[in-house]
Amino acid sequence: MNSQIFHPFVLPFVLGMAFVLTYCLVGLIRVILQLPKDDRKQFLRSLVTPKTAWANIRDLFGDCLFHVKIWKRNPLLGYMHSAIAFGWFMIIVIGHIMLFTLKPLEGVEVEGFARTFTNFYYPIFFKYFAEETPVFAFLMDFFLLMIISGILIAVVKKIHSKIVGVKRVTKFGFADNMIRFALWTIFPFRLIAEKTNIMAFWWLYSIDLLIFMFMLPFTRYMHIPTEALFILMRHAGLNAREPRKGYALAQLYSCPSCGLCIDACPMSVNDKMSGNTSAYFMKKLRNKDSDEAKRIAETCLMCGKCVMVCPVSIESCDIKFSQRAAVPYEIHSDHSYLDVISTEAQRSGEISSKDKVLYFAGCMTQLTPKIMRAMKQIMETAGEEYEFLDKDGGICCGRPMLLSGKTAEAQAMIAKNTELIKKSGAKKLVLSCPICYKVFKEEYHLEGIEIQHHTQYINELIKNGKLKVNKTDVNYVYHDPCELGRAFGVYDEPREVIENVGNLLKAKSEKELSICCGGSLGSFNLTQKERDEITSNSVADLMFNNPDEIVTACPLCLKTFARKSPVPVKDIAELFVVHQA
Amino acid sequence: MKENILIIGGGAAGMEAATQLQKMGLTPIIVEKSEHLGGHIAQWDRLFPAFHPAKDVVDQMLNQVKDVKTYLNTEVTDIQRNSDGFKAILSNNETIDAKAVILATGFDIFKAERKQEYGYGIYNNVMTSVELENFFRTGNDARINNPKKIGFVHCVGARDVKVCNTYCSKVCCTTALKQACEIKEVFPDAEVYTFYMDLRMFGPGYEDLYLKTQKDFDVKCVRGRVCEVSEDMDGKLVIKAEDTLFGKPLKMTLDVLVLMCSMEKNKSIDVIQQKLGVANNSDGFMQNKDMYLGMNGTAQDGVFVAGACTAPKSLPDTIGEARSVATQVFNYINSK
Repeated sequence: MNSQIFHPFVLPFVLGMAFVLTYCLVGLIRVILQLPKDDRKQFLRSLVTPKTAWANIRDLFGDCLFHVKIWKRNPLLGYMHSAIAFGWFMIIVIGHIMLFTLKPLEGVEVEGFARTFTNFYYPIFFKYFAEETPVFAFLMDFFLLMIISGILIAVVKKIHSKIVGVKRVTKFGFADNMIRFALWTIFPFRLIAEKTNIMAFWWLYSIDLLIFMFMLPFTRYMHIPTEALFILMRHAGLNAREPRKGYALAQLYSCPSCGLCIDACPMSVNDKMSGNTSAYFMKKLRNKDSDEAKRIAETCLMCGKCVMVCPVSIESCDIKFSQRAAVPYEIHSDHSYLDVISTEAQRSGEISSKDKVLYFAGCMTQLTPKIMRAMKQIMETAGEEYEFLDKDGGICCGRPMLLSGKTAEAQAMIAKNTELIKKSGAKKLVLSCPICYKVFKEEYHLEGIEIQHHTQYINELIKNGKLKVNKTDVNYVYHDPCELGRAFGVYDEPREVIENVGNLLKAKSEKELSICCGGSLGSFNLTQKERDEITSNSVADLMFNNPDEIVTACPLCLKTFARKSPVPVKDIAELFVVHQA
Repeated sequence: MKENILIIGGGAAGMEAATQLQKMGLTPIIVEKSEHLGGHIAQWDRLFPAFHPAKDVVDQMLNQVKDVKTYLNTEVTDIQRNSDGFKAILSNNETIDAKAVILATGFDIFKAERKQEYGYGIYNNVMTSVELENFFRTGNDARINNPKKIGFVHCVGARDVKVCNTYCSKVCCTTALKQACEIKEVFPDAEVYTFYMDLRMFGPGYEDLYLKTQKDFDVKCVRGRVCEVSEDMDGKLVIKAEDTLFGKPLKMTLDVLVLMCSMEKNKSIDVIQQKLGVANNSDGFMQNKDMYLGMNGTAQDGVFVAGACTAPKSLPDTIGEARSVATQVFNYINSK
């Protein structure tokens, strides 16, 4: 114990802390000011709404401190993160509690204004200035050792990432490597300083803190303060509107570049393509490397798996959409034909009974006539009254235009389709294509009309006895299309249908972790060869348990897999044709 | 000098190579997996560009190989290299010792079901070029019932990244025009359309055939691909295509649609090919030594290739290659 209230070695820390707090405060104000007016109101209101406030508290602790999502993925990786984050948090908290419990500090009388000043750095260098009670001393040492154990795992992970179940890690530049080294050394220095009281180590400890805090805003560790803001904004239900402003900016700074999305990304079949993953996109966009950010945004398949595995829940696909929308692509589309389009029933004036089912095949299903034919057979066998909305080739659902950020063009098609659907008088709309399904669910306002994908529709018909099928010994594996599974959680209905007609085997990666087929409309510039590599990898994953046939529920996945699959690939609707009782 | 040369495949390439090798005093042995010699060409009715009967050519070739030792309904099940050359085991358990091997395994027809949007196997009246040729040869096909409107789709399974085949299949353009003329001969009142990307009339008399198709037979050639096919209530085919010269989409109702299926590598030889150490090229066909002077050689000493096993080829191309492979093998044996 040293009977003094100040020593020059605290200055580096104080300087660093002042810098980082100022930076964060300015950044916070900037992000909030960048929000569109409505979003800002929504955000501020959410802070005082009890429901979101509770979710905020839950996630601030769960995500920032305990890293629940990383624990779920790999316990060792989870321990590593929470040991460092939670341990550090506890040291600071206990340090502050000690300040209040040891009042007045032994040997040193600090009063009034000086007290608030010393409080700033006292807990950080506590052992130099004051003596702890045994209980606190134990707690402090315990958490310090916990942090160091986390750092030890981090060092091992750096050398051999597979130990925490990670195959590919993010490649870092000089600044990120340097701050990491600073972070790794802070706590060992503190431990040595506390135990030996050698001045040099107090200085090293403090200077390390300065380096860490000074570099923090310019490196991935900025996610530590920003994630808190991001959680609040996410719970407020905001959407990223511009790629580097407001909510999107908060997300860019919240990305820890942990690289968990790299292994998850279907493009990571080789080193070159793994550079197209979200971790790099966020980094490039944040570092204003706009050419690369634009390229990656256009390359992405938009399968959403990175969003699903992200421990911070960053909505990287939305940011990529906003990036695409910011680029004025030269698309000259002529939508004058929309005025003259009507359906067969409307032309013949046969409108409408109430229980009618409206079937919309969509352009991809038009290219896979087996699915259309199967759907017709299903609806006719089940005795359903139905109308085929796009029998003569209808209007696109709008998804491709939305994917390229062309909202106005998409809205023109959406408006016309909405009109056709409402005029039909049907109460149910059945879609064969998950791409259409997503758009109809999210972008259309079809109040009073139930929207179903045909997996749900067929399952319902089997359940209520309208369709009869035979169970056989054929071994099937089911591929979850991205826009049916991850986007809407339709996992059970297709599996129930398959279990009615055969044995359902598991794929290596299923449901949320299902791998994109490689044919996605989402990507603008992947070459066919690159897509083929993705497809082969996805097929291999499905073939894990040697099924007799692959079943999917998306015409695009079907066509894509059929090119590379060693076994027949079928749409779920085609199963009925084979197994009809 | 009596040296065994094993020829795998008894189509045009295999037969012609055997003929020449025999004349050179070597002993060719043909192993053919099907029940007859002649390969695809034996199933053909007439040949472009002059509508010459295929049977005429095939019969001449058969006549030339009548003394060549031939195994029908037989496949090579195993092959090994030894100090004398090669030892092959056949599916009838016989063993052949040979100094050299010629792979003349030819091609397979692209499976039209893989282009589901064209509706083959789904709609009754969609047929392949091979089936149409069979109709010309036999006069029997339930689908062809006095059609009024017939369409041909070029490049089915060729020049199409979506089916992983980026190469041109070389003969389908001319075949389509030949068949278009022939169907007009049978049904003079029918309207005939062909949908092409560009017409590759590369040989002597081919361009003349193209002019004749339009002038004498009034076949309408539309530059543009068919994108999708559906069926109307009467079972007629409704196609959507683009006329790229007019820059407009078009929709048409047809009685019969003929798909000009491409050539793909004959995969039934893959195991033996692998045992011989012959790789595939980027189109999935066999890789020859080089495209020019080494077109009949492979990376493996004593293993030769001829005909459509290295790329899609016309009949004259194939015969030329078969003759050249015979010379190469003759030189190879003499240099030993």
